[in-house]
Amino acid sequence: MMSVGISVLTVEDDERIRASVKLALEDEGWTVHEASSGEEAIEVFQRTTTDVVLIDIMLPGIDGFELCRNIRKLSDVPVVMVTARADTHDVVAGLEAGADDYLTKPFAPKELAARIRALLRRAKPSATGHAKLQFGNLEIIPDEGKVLLDHNEVVLTKTEFRLLCELAHDPGGVFSRELLLDKVWGYGYFGDGRLVDVHIRRLRMKIEVDPANPTHVVTVRGLGYRLQS
Amino acid sequence: MIDPLLDESKARYRLTRARRIIRTVAKRVRPKRIGLRNRILIIFGVGSMILAGVLATTTYSFTRSSLMQQREKAEINLAFANARRVQNDLLADRTAIEIALNQVGDSHRLLYMDGKWTGTSQMFTESAIPPILKDQVVSQRKAAIMTTSVRNGQALIVGIRLERINATYFELDNLREVREALRSVQIALFFSAFITIMVGFGLGLFASRRAVRPLANAAQAARAIADGSLDTRLEPTDDPDLQVLTAAFNDMVSAMQQRVERDARFTSDVSHELRSPLMTLAASVQVMESRRDELSERSQAALDLLVGDVSRFQGLVEDLLEISRFDAGAVRLVKEPLVAHEFVRQAISVSSMPKTEVRVTADVESVVIRGDKRRLARVLANLIDNARIHSGGRPTVHVQFAEEDEPIGNIWIIVEDNGEGLIDGEAEKIFERFSRGAAAGKRSGQEGAGLGLALALEHITLHGGRIWAENRQDGIVGARFIVEIGIEAPA
Repeated sequence: MMSVGISVLTVEDDERIRASVKLALEDEGWTVHEASSGEEAIEVFQRTTTDVVLIDIMLPGIDGFELCRNIRKLSDVPVVMVTARADTHDVVAGLEAGADDYLTKPFAPKELAARIRALLRRAKPSATGHAKLQFGNLEIIPDEGKVLLDHNEVVLTKTEFRLLCELAHDPGGVFSRELLLDKVWGYGYFGDGRLVDVHIRRLRMKIEVDPANPTHVVTVRGLGYRLQS
Repeated sequence: MIDPLLDESKARYRLTRARRIIRTVAKRVRPKRIGLRNRILIIFGVGSMILAGVLATTTYSFTRSSLMQQREKAEINLAFANARRVQNDLLADRTAIEIALNQVGDSHRLLYMDGKWTGTSQMFTESAIPPILKDQVVSQRKAAIMTTSVRNGQALIVGIRLERINATYFELDNLREVREALRSVQIALFFSAFITIMVGFGLGLFASRRAVRPLANAAQAARAIADGSLDTRLEPTDDPDLQVLTAAFNDMVSAMQQRVERDARFTSDVSHELRSPLMTLAASVQVMESRRDELSERSQAALDLLVGDVSRFQGLVEDLLEISRFDAGAVRLVKEPLVAHEFVRQAISVSSMPKTEVRVTADVESVVIRGDKRRLARVLANLIDNARIHSGGRPTVHVQFAEEDEPIGNIWIIVEDNGEGLIDGEAEKIFERFSRGAAAGKRSGQEGAGLGLALALEHITLHGGRIWAENRQDGIVGARFIVEIGIEAPA
């Protein structure tokens, strides 16, 4: 299936963790590239084809946030952050730097594999099979993975695109955070709602003319989010 | 067999011990010390009493002596004038003694002439005159004045020799005006003394309150520190006396805070450091587990032990980290509104006994609580773990409104088990860190480190709720753990 041939880049300064995670992910049948620092990671990333990047925030040299921003400049691949704690600012900062999901250390490699699989799911935006979805000045072309704002192409990450497609699935319908967490990230009840909030914020920065006063992705107080023209 | 000698010495030992205990108890029940406030009040009160007393006494004696001096002078002048008139009258008619005496003034007079005493009143007779005065005036022929005591107090007697008629004249002034003046002075002094004492007590009350106020501040700060806000400091003051206390207090708190933070940081650092090897362990164990079939039976058994303990170790490190976060005050709740019964069902479904029955009373169906769902879920998971480990039977979870709740603002999430129940004093102890309850030791290595309930307590406290344990109230043997938490939107 789609998990076959996935190539993961793990950026982690602890050699033993890297080795063990590599072993565990290779058991999934995936290819694992390693980097022990942010500088090395950029180099490896440019040299190889990578489907997903795993970044430990605490890195020597350039830190995980900076590395994440650098990778975002190069690519839209899913990025999973490894943080020390779930309740710090680290999580939000990591997501704002462009990460798609996060894990707290120590995590089970099985959990990591599940997260990666969820992030690599293909976007399936339209049940009706429309080739093009129009929301005012916003245009979504699902098959090509393209989004146009005023006819100019907007670069979204894979996860942002999937989130947008999910919202486009039922235009005008209200999506709760729980529902979006389930659909986009595959999380159950105990998923972190901040994932949705930060991704919505990132999406607005890209597809709204004025991100502070969104017209497309609007908040429905106490209920969730909605996509409109 | 018991050695009788040993028994005796034991008895003696017990006796001396009992005596010692009685002595300590006796020492403890000695009269309570007078508090600082009362001491200040007493000092002010007694001080003002002494002050008022001394002032009143000196004022009175000064007034009295000066009044007496004035009176004496006046009396002497008057007596001489009277005596001169009496002498003149008697020079004219030596027999008209009574007329002559009665003609002058209204004081008491006495005349000794030709060996005969003549007086103007019953009260003032020869016997009323002190012998010394009589001797001075009659025998030595000198004028003299003397204070003497008469029936109703003191009186002045002036004796004057009337040479021309060869007689002696005595005049008595019973000092009525002086006495009256002194009485009003007494009343005035009494009232002013009373007012002084009252003012003294009033000042004492004020001063004692003021003196204790910095202590009250310090006590309040100490209490705040005990409650965990280690950032509390006493306000700096420019009062040189208080500065010493304030500085010492603040230094103490700083030192304590440093120690607490160092301890917390140590726990945190240790746990953080443990996470990296743990990560490697968890990943490696998983790799081995996926190749379980390739291993020999003995290796499989060893692997199972390894897998079990790696996850136990992981749980312990996570608990320690969480505890150290609480100690450092670094826990930030990610609160959100949660539908109570939905949350409880979800939390139970990810606990170690996901099939545990959850009973929800109809009236709490729509109740919403506000909390950090992952932390609250940990609490329920820990309670379920506790029930699983310490009581064989399946627990039941109830969600209902708090019993006997005055304002209906709280719900109870109850985890009820069929174990042996709690013994006396256990209910509080089990929430202490690394406490495992009375049943500890009997159990297998399946149990946790004893941090679960301590963490649950921290989590619930941070959510502004309460958690406690008690024996079941429905007649069935077993314990129940109650989480009380405020509701956000009453049904």
